Amino acid sequence: MRNIWIIARRDLRAQFNSPVAYVVIGGTLFLVGVLVFLIPHVGNAFMGNFWELDRATMDQMFLYLPPLMCLFVVPAVTMRAIAAEKGSGTLELLITMPVRDSDVILGKFFACLAVVLILLAATLLYPIAMFVWPWHLGPLDWPTVWAGYLGCLLFSSAAVAVGMMLSSLTESDVIAFFMTSATLSILYAIGWMASIIPGGLGDVVEFLSFQTRYQSFARGLIDTRAVIYFLSIATVCILVSFRSLESRKWS
Amino acid sequence: MSNDVMIYANDLSKSFGSFRALDKINFEVKRGEIVGFLGPNGAGKSTTMRILTCFISPTSGTARVNGHDVFDAPLQVRESLGYLPQRAPLYLEMSVLEYLRFAAELRHLPADTFRKRAKSVVEVCGLAQVLGREIRHLSHGYRQRVGLAQALIHDPPILILDEPTSDLDPNEKAEFLDYLKQIGQERTVMLSTHNLAEVEASCARAIIVSSGRIVADGPLDEIRAKSGRVRYVVSVQESPGTASYRGRGEPPKKSEVETALGAVGGVKKLGDLPTDERAHAFELVSDREVDLRPDVFRLAADKGWVLLELHRDAQTLEDVFRSLTIGDERRNRHVGPESDAGDDEQDGAGDDDADESPRGASRDRHEKTASDRS
Repeated sequence: MRNIWIIARRDLRAQFNSPVAYVVIGGTLFLVGVLVFLIPHVGNAFMGNFWELDRATMDQMFLYLPPLMCLFVVPAVTMRAIAAEKGSGTLELLITMPVRDSDVILGKFFACLAVVLILLAATLLYPIAMFVWPWHLGPLDWPTVWAGYLGCLLFSSAAVAVGMMLSSLTESDVIAFFMTSATLSILYAIGWMASIIPGGLGDVVEFLSFQTRYQSFARGLIDTRAVIYFLSIATVCILVSFRSLESRKWS
Repeated sequence: MSNDVMIYANDLSKSFGSFRALDKINFEVKRGEIVGFLGPNGAGKSTTMRILTCFISPTSGTARVNGHDVFDAPLQVRESLGYLPQRAPLYLEMSVLEYLRFAAELRHLPADTFRKRAKSVVEVCGLAQVLGREIRHLSHGYRQRVGLAQALIHDPPILILDEPTSDLDPNEKAEFLDYLKQIGQERTVMLSTHNLAEVEASCARAIIVSSGRIVADGPLDEIRAKSGRVRYVVSVQESPGTASYRGRGEPPKKSEVETALGAVGGVKKLGDLPTDERAHAFELVSDREVDLRPDVFRLAADKGWVLLELHRDAQTLEDVFRSLTIGDERRNRHVGPESDAGDDEQDGAGDDDADESPRGASRDRHEKTASDRS
């Protein structure tokens, strides 16, 4: 346990020692702000911005956060987790300390998750600014917001685990970035396709999609199936990265 | 006695795909020994060290470090050793002090022990000036020192150092080797290198590996004696130049000296050495037991020659190393792509080339001897 904490703390500090974490958090806040407050209703692509909707709700924010996470937040945060350490050889020094392989994987997982959590915490600025201080635009339904955040948390645990797994399979952080970005985007985007794919395949796609699982949270609904789904994805991916780290012994 | 064996390897083998990196390696290292692990690039030095530090697992065979098996108790194995991997891969964004603290925390050192150890380690490794600097701003020599400090921070009974001196300058190297001798008295140190002078300076024992096999293991003197040949260099004045000739009669002709020397008992081989026109120089090779020097002196005195030089070279470790490993090297060069299977050792190729140039001559000699014998 203690080793996990030490490794996680070091990794988190390393994230904030490099510009990546700042760019990711700042960039995401900026993009969310633009998407939620400035982009007007255009055809079917955008559901209308915060002002056009004219309701006391943060729905738009919870609509735009997951795609941004898939596209670049999670890939950027997890790309260096294992890939870069493998590439530069620091992994060898870390692993030959008296630590278990699982300590290393979990420590890195929690460090990456922490960066995402810091980002999520930062997005709280928007509902607070709109509905608490300095503006009071109406009575916000906070439980819905918290459900949305719980959804984001579960969603990002799964996404970070996927990113970790892909990072553990390669030695290059660039490859890890693009693989993670592509994988997560596909997992998210197949939700849109589910409705146009007929029959059983459509059901399978809908079952796999991050988007359909996440949507209930965005509406304020805590769906246990979705909770279990995201936690299972996270567990499986962590186990795979653990095995992949262990496989160095036998290659 | 058995608890005096700190590192024990029994029939260790490691294959990477079809490439056999290690082939049934057996050795033991006792407490207080400093062992030099030698071998050409790709011979399996790093692989062995990685197995001993439980970074990779052997394909077959067993290894025990400080009494703990590398399969069953990797954590205890790692606790009892300090390891410096090749090229000292450190976290570049951390400062030296942060890094040392991180290493100490992972080894569960209490804070006050860390302060005490850090003080001595920083002094020993000469890091006081750079403690607050980020590692990315340090030269390779300093990074290597940080790597060493990290390996020493918990005062381990066993040190495994993979090419610890490759990036140090000559002064640092000498200092480091001195220090190694000092700490090696109650500790077990295993260091790999392809710099043979270092082994001669710091290690009493060497293990030479080549193509995954141990080709020599023992005290340096024994290894040297193994090849069993001694070389003498004799030069006789050919022309006095402007000074007057101090020998008897006329200076001798080259052929005259050559036949006379060849007739001396015990000479196995006679070779011509390049010189200026003032001297004839020859190289004699004999068995170790016979000392040729009295006979050569007698010969020169009887003939009235002016003997400019007469000395005996015990075969240097370098020569032994080359003769033990040269076959593999040549094979590697011919086969080509096969050699990149030992990729973890390829990085050091640059250093090796630098070492190689002054040995060009001695290699030719060996090839000659080889053909002579056959």
